[in-house]
Amino acid sequence: MNEKQSPPEWRVMGETVPGASHLRAGVPNQDAILQVRESGRGLPVVVSVSDGHGSDKCFRSDRGSRFAVKRAAQLVGEFLDESRGLADLAELEGRAKEYLPREFVRRWREAVEADLKARPFTEEELETVGKKDGPRAVKLLATNPLLAYGATSLTVAVAESFALYLQLGDGDILNVSDTGEVAKALPEDERLFANETTSLCTPDAEKNFRVRLQQFSDGPPALILLSTDGYVNSFSDSAGFLKVGSDLLEMLRADGFDPINASLKGWLEEATRSGSGDDCTLGLICRMDALSKADAEPGAEAFKTEEKPVASTEEPTAPTATAEAPPPVLQTADASTQSAGQSQTPRPGEQSA
Amino acid sequence: MSRRPGGELASRPLHFIWIADSSGSMEQDGKIQALNTAIREAIPHMRKVAEDNPNAQVLVRAVKFSNGAQWHITQPTPVADFAWADLAAEGETDMGKALELVAEQLKMPPMSERALPPVLVLVSDGQPTDDFESGLKALMEQPWGKKAVRIAISIGRDADPEVLQRFIGNTELKPLAANSPEALVRHIKWASTAVLKSASSPAAGADKPAGVDAPTTPVPIPTAAPAPGGGAQAAAAATGGSQTPVDDEAANNQQTIDDVW
Repeated sequence: MNEKQSPPEWRVMGETVPGASHLRAGVPNQDAILQVRESGRGLPVVVSVSDGHGSDKCFRSDRGSRFAVKRAAQLVGEFLDESRGLADLAELEGRAKEYLPREFVRRWREAVEADLKARPFTEEELETVGKKDGPRAVKLLATNPLLAYGATSLTVAVAESFALYLQLGDGDILNVSDTGEVAKALPEDERLFANETTSLCTPDAEKNFRVRLQQFSDGPPALILLSTDGYVNSFSDSAGFLKVGSDLLEMLRADGFDPINASLKGWLEEATRSGSGDDCTLGLICRMDALSKADAEPGAEAFKTEEKPVASTEEPTAPTATAEAPPPVLQTADASTQSAGQSQTPRPGEQSA
Repeated sequence: MSRRPGGELASRPLHFIWIADSSGSMEQDGKIQALNTAIREAIPHMRKVAEDNPNAQVLVRAVKFSNGAQWHITQPTPVADFAWADLAAEGETDMGKALELVAEQLKMPPMSERALPPVLVLVSDGQPTDDFESGLKALMEQPWGKKAVRIAISIGRDADPEVLQRFIGNTELKPLAANSPEALVRHIKWASTAVLKSASSPAAGADKPAGVDAPTTPVPIPTAAPAPGGGAQAAAAATGGSQTPVDDEAANNQQTIDDVW
């Protein structure tokens, strides 16, 4: 027998909750998350999270983060689709580093500029910034209106033989091995300190990305986690945050996918309440054959989060409303920005088993 | 599911450090007693501010400087448990040594990356008698020293405003001049309420694009009130609002008829 071994099945879950201090201050959830698959249960799986800056002058960052997750997930899906068949993964990584940051920033800026055209800054918005942050902040916005939409971006795509990581700004992407060892997927960025972060809104954004293609020659990770810094900062130290990875693997093996999926929101709410007070977002990509206790009935329960994703939309609303929004659809309204590969761009997570 | 993943959860630490002059000149005209009183009276207001944001853990301690510098209150103490121990005055004004001590504690570790930018409040009535430059350099070499919210209060007319301005490092924010016990109380209260409130607010913990924002933490800039020394200003100062009125001497460093130092 020389049957080709089928690729492992990957599943995704994710959740975002508004920060406890944001709720006290009446500030919306500025994080966003989007989970997509190309088709059915096939690969690649793409998950993107984004953290809109909480700085007073970034008063539309909830919109900026939603533009970010949608553009990133769409772009990475297109890129992998167009690169299908390219056997040289080193070359693919090189192309990803050269193309993805530049094109992603271009598309994000285009989305923001369209939004600005449709909804110019109001006097009230600028007055509020002036009151909270001073006249200098208003001048900065006049020079660079993108600042109002400032956001980070973390995106992971899992294909058959590799994972692709793309990150701008703070937050963390973790790998968890089959033996429960946890490692950061990307090197540290020393510029991320004291709440200052590299951002989509700065003129040199495309130069500040961290991009890596991880080949699965030594075996794929069991789990990949994506988190915004609100969740990371909720733990008393970094070891406490890294422990999330090994604990989740253990809990998934003990309890299965669904119970963990159902508990995610409560855990994030507890974290922001007892921790940072900031918006908290966690995306989780699970390699199902790494869970020794297989999910008995993978069909019906598998994609609960994808039925109720906290997703990017072109018209961001309050986080609670977004959480109840229909599954994300990568809209074609901005088809002019899409490549020839559009017909094969990622679609939302599967709706039926 | 009762268990949750990950280690211990904790609010983000906000270190508040008094850097207090206890040189011999502070003994004159009751300055040291006025400082002790002012800080003691500010503590309940600090507690109130801290209670308003449970996601920031305010930790207070103090350095004193005269002949050399020592930690006056060594442990970062939760503000709910913080009590002021009176300072006694004698000796020189070794401000540089005090900044070196603070710099040592702002290294990582013991500081963590997840902390909020610390608040440093320097109070002095004189000229440094040691190597201020090397103390300031040591402080500014630490990432948290650079990112700290630095406030300075000068007591009397012998303080060196230039030195204090260099400590602050932000031209929009001037040293606050206290030429009377009442003014000192107001300034101490402002630093320990309005500044603390700003430093512990969600905005202070919020992400900002690097290289765009300055300073790191928005500090409420004191605004001048129409007349110095009046009860109205003291009452306004007690509100701990983000824009606490400060008398003319704070804004312009001018002498007034209420000056006693």
